[in-house]
Amino acid sequence: MFLQADIDRMLSDPQVAPNVIAKGRRVFLAWCASCHGADGRGSTATGAPNLTDQDFLYGSGRASEIEQIVLHGIRAGDDKGWDLAWMPAFGQAVPYVREPLPSLSPAEIDQLTSYVRAMNGAAGEAPAAVSAGHDLFVNRAGCWDCHGRDAQGDPSIGAPNLTDGIWLRGDGSRRDISRVIREGLHGVSPAFRGRLDAVSIRSVAVYVASLHAPKEAR
Amino acid sequence: MSSPTPDTKPSLRDWWRPDVHNERRSLTLCAMAAVLGLTIAGAGLFSARGTRIAGVPPEDVAVVNQSPIALSDFDAQLRALYNVSPSQATPAQKRAVLDGMIREELYVQRGVELGLQNDFIEVRTALVSAVESQQDIDANATVPTEQELRDFYQRNIVRYLPEGEMTLTDYIAPDLASAQRAVLAARSGGGAAAAMAAAGLKSSGATDDGDEFYFATALHLGPQLFAVAKRLHNGEVSDPIPVGGRIHVLIMQKNQPPVAAVYADARDRVLADYRADKIARLRVGTDRFLRDRADVQIAKAFQ
Repeated sequence: MFLQADIDRMLSDPQVAPNVIAKGRRVFLAWCASCHGADGRGSTATGAPNLTDQDFLYGSGRASEIEQIVLHGIRAGDDKGWDLAWMPAFGQAVPYVREPLPSLSPAEIDQLTSYVRAMNGAAGEAPAAVSAGHDLFVNRAGCWDCHGRDAQGDPSIGAPNLTDGIWLRGDGSRRDISRVIREGLHGVSPAFRGRLDAVSIRSVAVYVASLHAPKEAR
Repeated sequence: MSSPTPDTKPSLRDWWRPDVHNERRSLTLCAMAAVLGLTIAGAGLFSARGTRIAGVPPEDVAVVNQSPIALSDFDAQLRALYNVSPSQATPAQKRAVLDGMIREELYVQRGVELGLQNDFIEVRTALVSAVESQQDIDANATVPTEQELRDFYQRNIVRYLPEGEMTLTDYIAPDLASAQRAVLAARSGGGAAAAMAAAGLKSSGATDDGDEFYFATALHLGPQLFAVAKRLHNGEVSDPIPVGGRIHVLIMQKNQPPVAAVYADARDRVLADYRADKIARLRVGTDRFLRDRADVQIAKAFQ
């Protein structure tokens, strides 16, 4: 009946949770830790998300949502997986293959970088550059289309919040932000459907949910 | 216990007795078993339902003509349609979702029976894409070792060159002599811009927006001028360049050629490229495999 049960209730069930989490951890160490790390904290060097915080790229962190990601992946080639948007590479002649977007000049990338850094409280960004960056963000570069006009992201397409000081790639330095704008970003999470059995997939989803669950739900 | 003599015909009472030898009984039972077997086979063959599995596997919510409907798909559909978890859904909601999924499965199967993949471009495209995706899924699940990635990076280091950047001005001269005078004056230490102005050269406006990536400059100047520009160092003035009936002189303010990203900075792109290469190889292999096993006949006129 494990597979028939509501996965979102497993973490709060003291009869079920310990066993599922133990099995899920074994699956995680075997299949997921190579990117997300054994502790699930990911790596800002490689852009593998931290799975232990409350900042969710996709969805809201529910075990059922994670199960779908484990099954069908992110940009993994599985039609049922997530693949709605990529971060364009604005420093290239063709920033984005799916829709026409303008390339940006190095100066414009610097302005966007200033704007993103200013939103995160970085001191010393020139007001004129921040203002020009904002203008690019909500107009020509089209960043608002995924990240939102308030730049707080959109978990329904995997667009990160750019105002919370949590960085997927790098540490929020000028160099790192500028590089992401220039080179783009589109990480892949494999689809494990057909590779792992249903019980393992469900268990690892519950385990990952437990990594960021509020204490009362553990 | 008595046994009949060979020339004695067994009585009807002895017919079922296993300790009494009876060839006619053996033949009769064989014939009955054969008829029963044929009857079962015939019923299975003509009922058109095929062989049924004993039940629905635990990871599925239904099985339609041997095609499973996955529980995970059912849950996802339930959430998409009603925004409820399986435990929150009403029986009516569950029934509606399941009915819809069974109907879809039946129609997909019917579509295959009818050979609709031959008629609908969308179906054909989706099928091709689905087969290709299977290879993508396999390749994307690959976890290469760090050494394999480093080797790949070294073999393909040119991929990890960022765009170079340059800031330059493209001047147009009224004639070759003016251009030569301006170049000489600029190279002799006077201010380059002033030298150009003094000789009557004017900016073409093609690169007046400041610092540009190489690709942008190449677009603005065209390949012939860009080839010259790439070789200029900071502060250098080009010779006069006749292109398209005009005489150009380029003054380079800043030329920053691309420098390959170090491995650590490029690792995520290296991994993506490693997988993309694997996908490309798998596709070539699949193409070859499918062609090898296929009977493809091509009309003479098209050979």
